[in-house]
Amino acid sequence: MRNFEDDPTLDDLLSDDQRQRLNRALSALCREPVALTANRQDNAEPVEFNLETVGWLSGGESAAERRAASELVSFLLLFVAKYRLAANLHHDTTEASYAELQRQNEALKASEARFRELSDQLQQRVDEQVEVIRQNQQDLYESSRLRSVGHLAAGVAHEINNPIGFISSNLRVARDYLEDLRDIVPDTEQNRELLADFNDLIGESADGARRIAGIVADLKTFSSIDQSGYTLCDLNELITSAIHLLQTEYHHQLQVLEQLGDIPRISGNPGRLAQSLYNLLDNAAQALRDAQKGSDQGHILVRTVRRDNQVDVLIQDNGCGISEANLGLIFDAFYTTRPVGSGTGLGLTVARDTTRAHGGTLQIDSREGQGTRVTLTFTAP
Amino acid sequence: MAEYTPEDNKLALKVVFYGPALSGKTTNLMQLHSLLNPERKGELMVLETRDDRTLFFDMLPIGLKSESGLDLRLKLYTVPGQVQHDSTRKAVLSRADGVVFVADSQPSQQDNNANAFGNLEENLEKVGLDIDTLPLVVQFNKRDIPGVVDEAELQDRWSATPWSPLVMASALRGSGVIATFRLLLDRLYTEVDAEFELAARHGIDRNRFITRLSASDEVDLA
Repeated sequence: MRNFEDDPTLDDLLSDDQRQRLNRALSALCREPVALTANRQDNAEPVEFNLETVGWLSGGESAAERRAASELVSFLLLFVAKYRLAANLHHDTTEASYAELQRQNEALKASEARFRELSDQLQQRVDEQVEVIRQNQQDLYESSRLRSVGHLAAGVAHEINNPIGFISSNLRVARDYLEDLRDIVPDTEQNRELLADFNDLIGESADGARRIAGIVADLKTFSSIDQSGYTLCDLNELITSAIHLLQTEYHHQLQVLEQLGDIPRISGNPGRLAQSLYNLLDNAAQALRDAQKGSDQGHILVRTVRRDNQVDVLIQDNGCGISEANLGLIFDAFYTTRPVGSGTGLGLTVARDTTRAHGGTLQIDSREGQGTRVTLTFTAP
Repeated sequence: MAEYTPEDNKLALKVVFYGPALSGKTTNLMQLHSLLNPERKGELMVLETRDDRTLFFDMLPIGLKSESGLDLRLKLYTVPGQVQHDSTRKAVLSRADGVVFVADSQPSQQDNNANAFGNLEENLEKVGLDIDTLPLVVQFNKRDIPGVVDEAELQDRWSATPWSPLVMASALRGSGVIATFRLLLDRLYTEVDAEFELAARHGIDRNRFITRLSASDEVDLA
């Protein structure tokens, strides 16, 4: 590109038309015709501009006439060149300003893109933080719920253990007294029936007291009053306790098939694991109830098995199953298909989070109307 | 950027008179035009003015022809000093081989001097020139006005810069103008000789370069 300051050529300064017109005007002034040309001619006088020879003036009657004409042309060219230089400079600076504007525009665009990206990242960070807070809130809610259940269970266990203790003990003494009575009361048909019935009553009461003691023991395991933090847990034991608790809840009407294999203990929080297992079993039981299958048809299969360095816990029911539309939602906290008041919508969420916290996975396979299978996989120590 | 055209054996150099508005850049050039009598001197082109203020630039071409046939041209430019003509200043400054910074000696103008010098630094960088290596002379003009800042104070202030000593001038009266120009030629020669071997190849030594380009009939009043 030519710069504004480059020395102009004759063509830059005058167009062909202008040069011809100038030649005509000069020739009219001179005694003989003269011609301004860009290239050197014989007997030509240089026409200078800015110390630069821009053209040659030939013709004329004499050298003096050529010099005079050349001088006049130089004088004219000075003004032409002034305009040309100013125009070129103006063009150059305008172009430079425009290029600068464009550069600034590009820079602005780039900076805007950068801010947009930053803003997106910020939004993402906010979303992540919101998720963390939500998770923490849920954990807090869960742990406080577990704690209150634990306190309740501890209270109940304490309060019941004592009376059950003396009821059991009194019943044993009462049976001894019954034996004594057998020798004392007259041996009549009526008395024999009475004593036999009495014996049955005491036996049933003792059995009831034993069951109450069992429930209390299960409750203690479930709420892990005796343990805190991580310890080696026997999953089979936890499952058995959870099933007992569940059976109590469902009045021993559930048909639960236990296939508990020889599995190693895993490191974990027994209370949270028990709660999770109970949640899953409770879901299975409710699925059977929703499918309106009685104990003759509906059943729950619980199986534990060791595979290489993994422990699998399988809880399977042939209940109502989960629709495909709902499968994507079941892990959402507070999502529930059950009537208001009957479920918090936290069961599966807690079970999955607990499993994850124990380094395991929870997988759900379900077909609507056919049943559901939940597989928990833990790493064996 | 000095431009050598081998076909014509022509070397074109460019010197720019820079400085704050109304510091006397055009007056410097007009005085050089009337005072100098170099081998070759073209017309002083005052391009366009409004209220006597430069809008585009002024230009004075001078030159010499060495015995070896080197056609040496020196084009002296002024820039418009007013702040708003910065893009014009930048365009004129590009490819300069030397700069004369014309500062105003009046105490009230010292801020303007500093701003203009900062602007020069900035624009030199933008057009790819290095202020530390570019031949540069600083002239404090308008010494004829009463109450100007003391020369000793100015010299002292600039003593630590590569542009010391300063040249004091009164362009209006024609004093110091040629001295400024000669100092610039002296600094310019060093650079040009290093690149084009003026002395070795063209027989132009420092003294000839300066005297022949700044020949003057009149005695410089400085």
